[in-house]
Amino acid sequence: MTSTHRITRAAHLESLDDFRKFLKEHCAPHAGITAEILYDLQLAVDEACTNIITHGYAGMDPGSIILDLEIDASKIGISITDFGHAFEPKSMPTPDVEASIEEREFGGFGLFFIQQTMDEMNYRTTEDGNTMLLTKHIINPTGD
Amino acid sequence: MLNYFRVKRQPEKVVPDLGAISVSMLEGDAHLPFTIRQLNNLPEAVKRRVYRGLIPPNLLTRFGIDPIHWTGANKAPLVFLKAEANSEKVLITAQSSPDIKDEFFALELADNSLNGVELNLVVLNDPTTPRYSIDTTEDGQPTMFGTLKRNIEAEEQAMHAGLAPGQVRAGLGGSRVVFEQLDAFLSMLGHRAYFLEPLTYASAWVFERRGFAYVRGHKLMDDIQRGFQVGGSLHQSLDDGFVFRKPDQASTVRGRAWAIHDGILDTLDLRWDKIRMVKQIGRHAGVETFPQAVY
Repeated sequence: MTSTHRITRAAHLESLDDFRKFLKEHCAPHAGITAEILYDLQLAVDEACTNIITHGYAGMDPGSIILDLEIDASKIGISITDFGHAFEPKSMPTPDVEASIEEREFGGFGLFFIQQTMDEMNYRTTEDGNTMLLTKHIINPTGD
Repeated sequence: MLNYFRVKRQPEKVVPDLGAISVSMLEGDAHLPFTIRQLNNLPEAVKRRVYRGLIPPNLLTRFGIDPIHWTGANKAPLVFLKAEANSEKVLITAQSSPDIKDEFFALELADNSLNGVELNLVVLNDPTTPRYSIDTTEDGQPTMFGTLKRNIEAEEQAMHAGLAPGQVRAGLGGSRVVFEQLDAFLSMLGHRAYFLEPLTYASAWVFERRGFAYVRGHKLMDDIQRGFQVGGSLHQSLDDGFVFRKPDQASTVRGRAWAIHDGILDTLDLRWDKIRMVKQIGRHAGVETFPQAVY
């Protein structure tokens, strides 16, 4: 059985805590969603939303971020929609995580973290907004 | 959080500039959106048939108007379509009698620069209720619904009659069905969303209830909500110093809207402008910037 949930907040940093709580509230009842998975989800959403807040709505009074959560027995789907400037996530080079702090280039880690913590990531820009789609597979403890 | 992605700043057009709608275009791709301009370049009868889908039929029959012929008693035309060839706008109006003052419905759509759709105007008036001349000054000059000039006396009367800023009459109470109809019409055209700029705080609140989200101004709405809480700067400015600044206005949508219309946002060094909202076709965004609001 699939459960779906939605929260919409203004794109400002104060909303990040609402998104974290929203994820915790709806993921906690599911036995297959461990604390580690929840942490990964919160980290990925934090990164994606921070990017929207800081760059997507740059130069304007911020608009909305719509966070949709869909949970079924085998996976968690998250879509994050905004109406600001669109991104080009595929254009970003993978950051050099082996480099020393002094040599490391500034930037690019938000997307890197999302890719590391999520199993799938897609991004689309259409007439009805910019949407990042994240998928995290979960292990069904009942084996169904 | 460490850092961000790169930003793309060049939005693409929603609809390519393809010219006139042809049968081969209709047969070729059922998903290709059409622009208002393309519709306006259709033959008159086709255009009228298409734009008939902009008005909920039961809104017309409520006033004894034939939803197909757009006529009332004695075959008098009561629905009017302005959709000139090569224009990027369509305006459709309906009135309960041949007198223009009895207009109860007006809706204007336009193509934007990306060939998306803008809802420029939506009016739903109850023509049986008293009319307040907030749209003209005492010497008959247009006020642009109080945004350019103001008719304070008429506005005060309108406020006491329970109207919101920008309203000349009480609302018709049909916004839900109108927006459902608009969703259906625009999905038929192949669009996924449409946009508008709310004239007032009260209209933004109504659009929230109808499923709109914000392209710009969600944070402003949050700031307004915060400001009208007891102890907030907007609440403190409702000092009974003027007719539109009564303390009890903080607790209602209309009360807040009149105070904002009267310029109370100056307190926060803010202005009610450049607010932009979006409706995703078939989706309700769930925005609620004034929880448990009393209208």
